[in-house]
Amino acid sequence: MKTVLISELKPFLDALAEEMELYVPKKSGEHYVYNRYDPSANVQVEFNNIRTCTPAKEFLFPLREIVAVYPESSDPINIKPFAVFGLKQCDLRSIEILDIVFKEAEYEDSFYVSRREKMFIISSDCTQPADSCFCNVLGGKPFAQNRYDLNVSQVKDQFIIEAGSQKGKDFIEKHSELFTKTTDIILAKRDKVRIETQKQLEEINSALEFDSPVNEIVGNSQDSVVYDEEAKTCVECQGCTRVCPTCHCFYLYDTKQEDYFTKIKMWDSCMRIAYAEVAGGANPRKALGDRLRHRFMHKFSYFLERYGVDMCVGCGRCVDGEAGEVDIRKVLKKLNEELKGKDKAKAEAAK
Amino acid sequence: MKRNLYQPINGGIVDIIEESSTIKSFVVELEEAFNFETGQFVELTLPGVGEAPFTPSSSPYDTKKMEITIMKAGKMTGLLHECEKGQKIGIRGPYGNGYPIDEFIGKDVYIISEGIGLASIRSLFLTLVDRISEFKSVVCRFSAKTPEDFIYKNNLFDSWQKIEGVDIQLTIEEANGTWDGNIGVVTTILSPDDVDISNAVAVVCGPPIMMKFGTLKLLEFGFSPEQIYLSMEKNMCCGVGKCGHCMMGKYYVCKDGPVFTYEQVKGHPEIWD
Ligand code: FES
Repeated sequence: MKTVLISELKPFLDALAEEMELYVPKKSGEHYVYNRYDPSANVQVEFNNIRTCTPAKEFLFPLREIVAVYPESSDPINIKPFAVFGLKQCDLRSIEILDIVFKEAEYEDSFYVSRREKMFIISSDCTQPADSCFCNVLGGKPFAQNRYDLNVSQVKDQFIIEAGSQKGKDFIEKHSELFTKTTDIILAKRDKVRIETQKQLEEINSALEFDSPVNEIVGNSQDSVVYDEEAKTCVECQGCTRVCPTCHCFYLYDTKQEDYFTKIKMWDSCMRIAYAEVAGGANPRKALGDRLRHRFMHKFSYFLERYGVDMCVGCGRCVDGEAGEVDIRKVLKKLNEELKGKDKAKAEAAK
Repeated sequence: MKRNLYQPINGGIVDIIEESSTIKSFVVELEEAFNFETGQFVELTLPGVGEAPFTPSSSPYDTKKMEITIMKAGKMTGLLHECEKGQKIGIRGPYGNGYPIDEFIGKDVYIISEGIGLASIRSLFLTLVDRISEFKSVVCRFSAKTPEDFIYKNNLFDSWQKIEGVDIQLTIEEANGTWDGNIGVVTTILSPDDVDISNAVAVVCGPPIMMKFGTLKLLEFGFSPEQIYLSMEKNMCCGVGKCGHCMMGKYYVCKDGPVFTYEQVKGHPEIWD
């Protein structure tokens, strides 16, 4: 698709902010978080070389929102167009997963859909993966493949902007005075950076090799002892599910206002003890290990079986974000070893 | 425009029937037409308090009013029990699948239930009775703790027993002075001769432990897992396969169930919990 060049981010971001609310990454400690862009503030927006700490789902499926007012229903929500700058390929894949859940034709979640329709996605290439990044192991890439309106790649002190949708193309054309043409040389440089980043990722994860496809490793872990072992290092902070860009469990609760009532949808976590408990008190996953197993099985096996994609994008946020010591990569590795052991035992028994 | 998934249909409680010391039936009327299939569930909103899933206990052919039979079991059901006629409520749904009634045609329908399980079974029963000539027979084996704990007593002890094509046997779990029937859990009144197993389906609905032993008994009699229908009780919240609360293995009980054949669920570890 169409590519153009710009030497500074500010004029580009200003043009975006003129048309819609714009959110940009800002460094907070060692991580990036999203902030509303203020063109008048005159601060340099950093090109985030890695994903933000907070997940993209926040823009589409907020932590808490009113989803119904009754008995007198209120007007459907009115979302203004907004843009998010600096999403990474892992974020885009997480949006693909959320789309499957919330845009499902039969039961469309109008709150999600309204936001999704108004969201203008400006992705950018990763240039410095973190130690916790493992997207490459799960088929991910450090640069956007699809589902973006515009993508930004940094090559030295210049930025290549590529349109990924008609909306993106229209934006570039409308603001053509901001941009110059790309050359084959600079595009080749971009490719080189991409290959280098991919190599970095491979190095980071060189020890993370599996003997079977991940869905098989996890799909066969119904009776694994690994989950109970791992549960000992989990402090039930639920941080993993909060920062996970694909986790989408929620619960509904009701509140009473002066003269009306509301139904509120709020993030929930399958790691919470009473998550699956029924009114009579029965609870199919009382044990923490069982909840951990369910979380893994849902991510790598159940969701894939139902929808054809798995539910982990390898962003590593859960590795960074939780208070305990459960490391999704190590759990997968342990399950891999366990399965390998079982397969070996089976083969020997067959001899 | 598509309806907001989370918006309840307004309604109100128009009658309350005391079924036992802990169970009441609430007759509700809604402001909009509402159709469901027997076996499907609804989310009942008590304004400002919360929502909970229930399977209607009335016949789906009765489109004017819906009945929901509720046992006092937690906070929300406790508050519902304190409600009076005229209380405003909300309903979302119906959700999930119903019983595949058409697949029951020409067969013996063997229904096994206990306690509050009878609530949703009543809806199924009324549906079957409405077209009773289409089935070979409807054979019911129900239990309760004591005679007083049976819900729908008037029907159960009398009028339903007289319906042609229906065979009902009851048992209670605790000996009781006036009771001259069987004493023991429901599996003690099941017999392989109750129905023609080669041409029957079984429906099991009740507390998990009873569902487990009921199912095992049926298998022992020679029922195949495909012939046994179970209505699973899980923590249904959104009702539309998104929130994840109702998951049982790979299934969203709210969407893929709540009615499953034993064949579908037998490999899952969480079904009886
Ligand atoms: S109740 Fe929400 S997914 Fe089934």
